[in-house]
Amino acid sequence: MSNFLRLLARNKLALGGLIVMGIVIFFALITPLLPLADPNVTNTADRFQPVFSEGALLGTDHLGRDLLSRLMWGTRLSLAVGFAAAIIAATIGAAIGIIAGYYGGRTDNIIMRGVDMLMAFPYILLALAIVAALGPGLLNALIAVAAVNIPFFARNIRGITVGIANKEFVDAARLAGKSDASIILSEVLPNVIPVIVIAMSTTIGWMILETAGLSFLGLGSQPPVADLGSMLGEARSALITNPHTSIVPGMMILIIVMAINLLGDGVRDALDPRLKSGALSRPMPATRVDRKGPIPEAEGDDLLALRGLETQFHVKDRVYKAVGGVDLNVRPGECLGLIGESGSGKSVTALSVMGLVASPPGVITGGAVYFEGEDLVGAPYSKLRRMRGKRVAYIFQDPLATLHPLYTIGDQLIEAVSCHRPIGKSEGRAHAVELLRQVRIPNAEKRVDSYPHELSGGMRQRVGIAMALANDPEVIIADEPTTALDVTVQAQVLTLLDDLRREKGLAILFITHDFGVVAQLCDRVAVMYAGRIVEQGPTDAILNAPAHPYTSKLMACVPELGEGRRRLEAIPGLPPVVDKLPDGCAFADRCHVATDACRRGEIPLDPLSDKRRVRCIHPVSDPATEAAQ
Amino acid sequence: MSFLNLSRRAALALTAAAAVALGGLSPATAQTPPGVLVVGQIAEPQALDPHAVTAVNDFRILMNVYDGLVRYASGTLEVEPALATDWTISDDGTVYTFTLREGVSFHDGSPFNAEAVVFNFERMLNEDHPFHDTGPFPLSFFFSSVDSVEATGDMEVTFTLSEPYAPFLSNLAYPTGLIVSPAAVEQYGADFGRNPSGTGAFRFEEWRSNEAVVVVANPDYWDGAPALEAVVFRPITDANTRTAEMLAGGIDVMVEVPPVALGEFEGDAFTIHEQAGPHVWFLILNALEGPFADVRVRQAANYAVNREAIVNDVLEGTAEVAAGPTPPAFAWAYNDELEPYPYDPDRARELLAEAGMENPEITFYVTEGGSGMLDPIAMGTAIQADLEAVGFDVTIETYEWNTFLGRVNPGLEGEADMAEMAWMTNDPDTLPYLALRTAAWPDQGGFNSGYYSNPEVDALLEEARTATDQDRRAELYREMQVIVQEDAPWVFVANWVQNAVTNDRVEGFGLEPSFFLLLHDVAKN
Amino acid sequence: MAGYILKRLLSAIPVLIGISVIVFLIMAMIPGDPATAILGSYATPENVAALNEDLGLDEPLVTRYFIWLSNMVQGDFGRSFALNRPVLDEVLERFGATLVLAGTAFVLCSVFGIAAGVISAANQYGFGDKAITFVVLLGISIPSFFLGMMMILIFAVNLRWFPVSGMWPIFGDRTIWVLLDHLAMPAIALAVVATGVVARLSRSAMLEVLRQDFIRTARAKGVRENSVIWRHALRAAMVSIIPVLGIQAGFVLSGAVYIEMVFQWPGVGRMLVDAILRRDILLVQGGVVFIAACYVLFNIAVDVAQSLLDPRIKT
Repeated sequence: MSNFLRLLARNKLALGGLIVMGIVIFFALITPLLPLADPNVTNTADRFQPVFSEGALLGTDHLGRDLLSRLMWGTRLSLAVGFAAAIIAATIGAAIGIIAGYYGGRTDNIIMRGVDMLMAFPYILLALAIVAALGPGLLNALIAVAAVNIPFFARNIRGITVGIANKEFVDAARLAGKSDASIILSEVLPNVIPVIVIAMSTTIGWMILETAGLSFLGLGSQPPVADLGSMLGEARSALITNPHTSIVPGMMILIIVMAINLLGDGVRDALDPRLKSGALSRPMPATRVDRKGPIPEAEGDDLLALRGLETQFHVKDRVYKAVGGVDLNVRPGECLGLIGESGSGKSVTALSVMGLVASPPGVITGGAVYFEGEDLVGAPYSKLRRMRGKRVAYIFQDPLATLHPLYTIGDQLIEAVSCHRPIGKSEGRAHAVELLRQVRIPNAEKRVDSYPHELSGGMRQRVGIAMALANDPEVIIADEPTTALDVTVQAQVLTLLDDLRREKGLAILFITHDFGVVAQLCDRVAVMYAGRIVEQGPTDAILNAPAHPYTSKLMACVPELGEGRRRLEAIPGLPPVVDKLPDGCAFADRCHVATDACRRGEIPLDPLSDKRRVRCIHPVSDPATEAAQ
Repeated sequence: MSFLNLSRRAALALTAAAAVALGGLSPATAQTPPGVLVVGQIAEPQALDPHAVTAVNDFRILMNVYDGLVRYASGTLEVEPALATDWTISDDGTVYTFTLREGVSFHDGSPFNAEAVVFNFERMLNEDHPFHDTGPFPLSFFFSSVDSVEATGDMEVTFTLSEPYAPFLSNLAYPTGLIVSPAAVEQYGADFGRNPSGTGAFRFEEWRSNEAVVVVANPDYWDGAPALEAVVFRPITDANTRTAEMLAGGIDVMVEVPPVALGEFEGDAFTIHEQAGPHVWFLILNALEGPFADVRVRQAANYAVNREAIVNDVLEGTAEVAAGPTPPAFAWAYNDELEPYPYDPDRARELLAEAGMENPEITFYVTEGGSGMLDPIAMGTAIQADLEAVGFDVTIETYEWNTFLGRVNPGLEGEADMAEMAWMTNDPDTLPYLALRTAAWPDQGGFNSGYYSNPEVDALLEEARTATDQDRRAELYREMQVIVQEDAPWVFVANWVQNAVTNDRVEGFGLEPSFFLLLHDVAKN
Repeated sequence: MAGYILKRLLSAIPVLIGISVIVFLIMAMIPGDPATAILGSYATPENVAALNEDLGLDEPLVTRYFIWLSNMVQGDFGRSFALNRPVLDEVLERFGATLVLAGTAFVLCSVFGIAAGVISAANQYGFGDKAITFVVLLGISIPSFFLGMMMILIFAVNLRWFPVSGMWPIFGDRTIWVLLDHLAMPAIALAVVATGVVARLSRSAMLEVLRQDFIRTARAKGVRENSVIWRHALRAAMVSIIPVLGIQAGFVLSGAVYIEMVFQWPGVGRMLVDAILRRDILLVQGGVVFIAACYVLFNIAVDVAQSLLDPRIKT
């Protein structure tokens, strides 16, 4: 609860709404105590006094009644009716929805048909007919407004309930012999309440508008009692001559409903678990760049070179240093493996290359990425875009999520080309078919018109590769492309990548957490831990003799072909949280050879041999001994 | 940033669209053409069959398309010849013989003659008539005393009444007595109401549902061709929108101007027309039971209501204070010596004290609007405030008009103590006869919903209805008014002064005490 | 697909029959009757009874319902008591006007709502987003009838930019421009609330979609940002926007009642309000069943559109 209030208070707009509502409700509550004129005493001689007249701050209406006083009393009534209608509609609607959703089957069918009927009935006419049947009066208007809104709640809640009714804990409760009523009350209801509250908070404003509408039509409160709608209705005939009598209640409705809506949005944001985890924000087209320090110079003639790359995530007032100064380089035809546990920063490193780190919250705070000697980090978006896919292409993990679900794979392949050069329809299609053939998708002419969900996981991954190949890029960055695949398919995909590399002279940056994959494909490998490279060198050398204790632990988790995958849980402890990196070696707490020296100062990535570097002051000298321990 | 460009482009497109909408289109306030009068009506007509409708709103169109045998002379409620040039009444007051005007044709070309007149009344009154099923004819009881209608010559019609009935001629001048073309009824049957044909100054042209009824001049009109080429009746139910249309020049004539809007029409561009008519707005008091069973409480209510404030402030002078049950517009029958109850809250409190009821509890039926009800909610609210000021404890219940009538007309017994009501009539007989006699209590099919009963009044009204001499009738009505005022079965509140606004292009416009809208002599530049 | 549509159409029949029962019962429950409405001040109990008999309202309720239903199935909706013409003629004529008004408002709310939502999401927390969010909030908080009244006051009476009321001018040609001139204010007043709702929903649907992996894929391909937003993201977001458009269509149709009253639009909403007040039973029943049928058909169309848009939905 306090968490909810804190979240609510953090939302400035919602806070504003809360404050306005607070003021309105406060005055509505104390209205009877205020020294106001009697709202119903007429003084026809003083009718239509303008705003700020003496004795009548907001003027008077067509019968000379004090508008301020009527406004306050009217607000009181309108609020009460709006809230009451929302609560009644929510309660009954939720009850119907829960019953329909919980019992399902015929009960559900009959109830939902009834709801459909009511929803097909124009709601104002339904309300009008109800009021005509019951007679006018604010109470009847309230009933009508509540009644016409029940179907919306019922439908909403039913959907949620259906989801919950099929959950394991409900089945468990059923097996435990609990009655339906007690399951509904103890298991279903608590899970539905947040949804009810959200639905209610976003509809109260609407209810107040609807009640005002009925009152406006003369079907609401009975004279002389004022509610905001009837004030507006009564003032309407004088709209042209004395607009203030309409504007005063009209603006009040506007203010109240606006405040309620702001508040409602805040409540929804605070209660909705999807939004709780982090503000619902969309990534910008390119990662934000905010480099503080000097930009490192390009060295050598590598095709792609990362120099001291730093990428951080800025969430509220916390800073997560996902990538903390990474140097990498790839030459044409070479395959560099980047390996590490989940959260080690390897994917962020890869995405930083082309500015694809979601931003917000991602920010590139330092370093450079040189492609053919040109810094991509500082490049303008338009230049970056022209290079994406054309010169540096990506292959992502989980191709079901990474392919657009609503376009055929042919369309998506053609688009990969057409956004870099104009291409005719038939030419594009032929090209797409050709690409699918290249990645050895059988029956490519037919497959080209398939949607991603119609393909198997391996096929989809091949499509992802085909898409990366579409423009014959120089560099392919493959971000765990085989993780979601089973082992046989994984092997096929790796072979395919390897063939392509040799045929086309591609440079590949291959990100994985799996040494088995690295061994199969990569010339060189870099091991990453807590946002930094801890060891780097030729694949064979590192596989034979890992120098960093982390590398050797990681290698102990290599899955053997046929044994399925083993996870990195084998290493005791967890990687450090990257917003609180310790001094010295980040791995020290999980390392069995760590000494005090390991926890002090900056530990450099020192050369171990000609082609190897390691960030460790106690490198493992004899891999065999190490393995024995 | 590319989105910024995009939104700027969208904004540009929007501005361009708005510019087209505002400037590129035809001017919104195109002048209505000369010779064509546009009248803002308060509602869509129900039908243009004069025998089938009851609303004043519909009468405004019908009176210009049809004629009756007789009509009210301009500016009065006295009958004068129309389609009948002359008539005689038998000494016992039961046989009326009309001589019809020669050479008149209906708009569809069929001739007007005695057979046509007989057809009209037979259709309404004779259930066996082949076209009786083109009804219903809700006001046919206006002629319920008619025993037979006969064509006693090619151009002579004789009505035989079952008993003397003084208001008969006046009823013939009412829209229910207008003569329709038998040929058109035969042709269109139940759809006659949408394809009307009469003998009037204007011929029906077109009815566009909820947009307009168009009538054009009848150049062969027996009373001279009208000055206008055409009249367009536009239904604009919302008074506020009607006012806005009048100000914006979309209509030339607006009837039933809301009191609060009158101020907008002061100045040279508009003319406000006013005409008192035979209308009375009153509160029915339940004399059968509850506080108002005591005449002192009924009188107290009459003293407590500030009529001056209601007519001058709430109604902005669009009504006059009513003194008794008969409106002054029936000049010949009105008792000039009758003084309205003065506004005297102290006297009201005294009377309540005398009656031993300082704080009587009262249920008050108020309607949202209806024929002749003026501004019933505002008036009801003001009345409630006045009554509360002298000690009454008033609860208002509001009903829309049809529910209201459904509750009030069957009688207030067991339901309410007081109800708003208004009547517009064409003869001083109608209202008191239907609403004040003992024999008119609801259970006997009358409108005496407050159960007032005074044998003296009953006798006076019976005699006045059958007397053929107008002076004698006048005497009886005057006497009745004094008694009824003293007995206070109603709170007499207001007599409506009907109003209309015309713009400066309209000439020769005048309102009639009958509440009809007669456009024969109107011109427009 | 044809089979699916047929199945949906068949399942609409019980819904429509249910609606006919509801509206029939409501009209039977409402106090007052057409005779009282027709007779006005002259409605004595005697006259009312006689007239009700003439109108065939003295039959038992169940008999009346089945007579009505069987006539309606044969295309005979009966005659309006108050307007003295066939119900179907009146409903069709008035429904055309409502369709023009509500249809325009629906197009406005869809186009501007979605555009506003997309622009807002694409510029999240930027100036455009804040401005749109504020305007949208204003839009969903203002009573449409109040907005309509204010528009008449400002744009028709004071500025004289637009005609005050009606659908067609009384004089002159009925061109599309003249219609637009009359349509502008009521359509905008009617569209405002729905636009707000659509914009809010589109914004959150877009934000949801823009975080998806396939958007990153599109960007990694080098797709232009405009295309990322309007082609990739919007297409995916439409899957959750379209059902809301379906619901909004119902709201716009209902909300038209107020707007038709304020702007004197000769539509079916105002006709039904008048008909309820006049107790014009057959007109109310026929009108409601007709509107409900249109609404049900529209919803089927929405579902079909949805399945055309999203290949993952099996029909």
